[in-house]
Amino acid sequence: MTTTARLFSAASLLAFPLFVLAQDPAAPRPADPIRVSVESPALALGDWAKALAFAEPASPDKAQVAVRVEKKEGDVWAVAFTGRGEFEGQDDALTCSAAAGLPEAEAKTAVLQAIKLGLMRYVSKTPLSGRVSISLLDAVKPTAVADPWNFWVFSLGVNSFVNGEKSYNSQSWMGNFSAGRVTPDWKIRLSLNGHLNKDAFNVLDYHYESKSHSLGGSGLIVKSLTDHWSVGGFFNLSSSTYQNVRLSLAPAAAVEYDVFPYSESTKRQLRILYRVGLTRVRYREETIYDKTRETLWSESLSATLELKKPWGTVSATLRGQHYFHDFKKNQLELNGEVSFRVFRGLNFNINGGGSRVHDQLYLAKGGASLEEVLLRRRQLATTYNYFFSVGLSYSFGSIFSNIVNPRFGSGGGSSFSLSF
Amino acid sequence: MTRIFASLAAAGILTIGSTARAGLVEPGQADINGLKKSAPKVYLDCPSCDLEYIKTEITFVNYVRDRKEAQVHVLITTQATASGGREYTLTFIGQGDFKGTDDVVKFFSNKTDTEDEVRKDLVKSLKIGLAPYAARTPIASRIAVSYAAPPAAKPGKDKWNHWVFSLSGEGFFNGESSMSRHSWGTNFSANRTTEAAKIRLGLSGHFDRARYEVGGETIRSRRESYSVNGLYVFSLGAHWSAGAFFEAESSTYENTKLGLRAAPAVEFNVFPYAQATRRQLRLLYRLGGGPVRYHDETIYDKIKETLWGQSLSVTLDVKEKWGAVSVSGSGSHYFHDFGKNRLDVFGSIQLNLFKGLRAHVFGGGSRIRDQLSLAKGSATLEQILLRRRQLETGYNYFAIFGLSYTFGSIYTNVVNPRFGSAGGGGIRIVIH
Repeated sequence: MTTTARLFSAASLLAFPLFVLAQDPAAPRPADPIRVSVESPALALGDWAKALAFAEPASPDKAQVAVRVEKKEGDVWAVAFTGRGEFEGQDDALTCSAAAGLPEAEAKTAVLQAIKLGLMRYVSKTPLSGRVSISLLDAVKPTAVADPWNFWVFSLGVNSFVNGEKSYNSQSWMGNFSAGRVTPDWKIRLSLNGHLNKDAFNVLDYHYESKSHSLGGSGLIVKSLTDHWSVGGFFNLSSSTYQNVRLSLAPAAAVEYDVFPYSESTKRQLRILYRVGLTRVRYREETIYDKTRETLWSESLSATLELKKPWGTVSATLRGQHYFHDFKKNQLELNGEVSFRVFRGLNFNINGGGSRVHDQLYLAKGGASLEEVLLRRRQLATTYNYFFSVGLSYSFGSIFSNIVNPRFGSGGGSSFSLSF
Repeated sequence: MTRIFASLAAAGILTIGSTARAGLVEPGQADINGLKKSAPKVYLDCPSCDLEYIKTEITFVNYVRDRKEAQVHVLITTQATASGGREYTLTFIGQGDFKGTDDVVKFFSNKTDTEDEVRKDLVKSLKIGLAPYAARTPIASRIAVSYAAPPAAKPGKDKWNHWVFSLSGEGFFNGESSMSRHSWGTNFSANRTTEAAKIRLGLSGHFDRARYEVGGETIRSRRESYSVNGLYVFSLGAHWSAGAFFEAESSTYENTKLGLRAAPAVEFNVFPYAQATRRQLRLLYRLGGGPVRYHDETIYDKIKETLWGQSLSVTLDVKEKWGAVSVSGSGSHYFHDFGKNRLDVFGSIQLNLFKGLRAHVFGGGSRIRDQLSLAKGSATLEQILLRRRQLETGYNYFAIFGLSYTFGSIYTNVVNPRFGSAGGGGIRIVIH
């Protein structure tokens, strides 16, 4: 190892003001280089501006940022930044060190690097920021940290939702526990959750109360094989009044192939997952097939496409499944979401899903009441289901205006979304 | 500082690179992994950001799942811009070794930007804001900064004079053998926002149809509403604004054939409006009224009437590193009968209490004494169950509570997309 300069920090001197005065965002300024003066009496920095590119040398009285490099004890170099004009009051201090006895060139490299990174906070307030790229030169393992828990994370939660008025009230309660360990080689996830729901209607002499509950648990373990292949297993436990299931246990083994390398997952994925397993189930009420319990073997294949590109986002899953005791007991399901910018101003989005359903083995013989139908408290016999929504929006006019005016509230009325 | 030195010396990896790639000394893999151990610990306070993308794009810091474990807490807040885009404010708060080193970086997204474009800009701003913190740790030696000179083109003049128009439509459909439902919504808006004045005009319509098959019988149900609204506000200094609201609406749920309302208003913000992305405490007073015509005769024997009233509302919005609070309360009454009034409260509180423990409460309630539009006839069973008609009530409320405790590993650097990434479970609340 020939180079032994070190770069590290000193305590910083001054906080930046939390609220930066608004520039007029409607009038973007041209990306002029930032004017910097550098005083370095003890170390020749040569043509530092060339190494920085985004800065131009200026005399101390014309500079937006004045940099002073000083030698401290023990071959430590102190680099002080002083903001001027629009950057008044925004100061910073960094230190770096080069081991004694090494050529001055090494110290120069370390000092220039400190100047470059230290100037970033001034660059971030100017239009130059859009033209600067910052990256780590080396690939690094995300697990290169000292972690006494060895990547295990545990979480406990409770949630509730209640609402009502004089003639109606409803409450739901949810509890969950999860434990997981995710590293690039293994993914382990365990979770348990319970859900309780109650609705009551009271209008004149009409009273109706409806309750439902469900309990679920899941386990997942995945081993990474290559940048395209993984193997693993699932375990599911569930109980639900909606589906007439008292208890079902379903272990399954699975293998997955991603057409694109997993390392590109945040940009594109096309994952194909094959799964084979069994389900042991006990029903609440006798089913339309005269069963109160059964053991079912099944297999499924699914393909998931996820793309996030400059023109928009696509996320879609196609899944098919059948039982082995009767191949006609099957299901085909498509779910997807596409948001697409046709051109600047015109955005189109669609999301939805549909299923062809021939495997409702759990339907109870008894049927459902009017209230159970309208409140969707029981799963009903069907051969299909679908939902989709489409949206189109077109904006024109001054569509790049960045003015923020919070008076009388921002936005056209508040909205909130809640997702589970 | 001594600690950083010590850990470096122990790893025996004191390398520095210049950004001139040619002259670079490539360190071994062990070296960079050693440097990564002392990289800044960052907590990203932005549940709606694409965190996996950020983690794969910015590798010169370590990510932790709790703010108390972090050396840099990045609080990301957004506000709507005039064009329907968002202003992102990234507040960097130094903690522990970096206490006192704070910074603010902003960027803007456009309404027509795709998710990919927004996340790229966010990553750019995060990198630039994190660079000064990385400069205080040994990993700084391996960070490259490059600069691309700008093209000569200058931004054009705004021929639309700040007006932004938007047209949108959406449809929602679902069904199975025994039911089907569809709803439609359309919306047109024209807005002009400058720092001195704000004009908003909107037109919208929604309708909803459903069909259920129960025991051989078909039940059909519908709900419709239309509205036109306008707002004009002008600025009177850093704390005061004045303006007026206008609204016309029609709704089957509320038994209103056509209601018209105009109301001048004045607002005072205790904090300067310039701090709105982090804190606001706004008091808004409105005075106004107008004529209304009903679909069916009301319980007060009216088919039309003219109503005048006043209202006062208070809104507090605070986003700090310990969490976020948004609370509002409003009271209103009619002048012809002070007993016809209502009181509404609405609040959302999200707290990061101590290491690993988070709580949120979200809810609202109203005390209602002003249901002047209630129709005389009683509602049918399916109108009640499907909530197709407003019913007589003295109050309403809703509330969501949540508590979660997380312990174990604090690091969240790893992105593993195998068998899908979804965390499963959990609730997310987004308020705009």
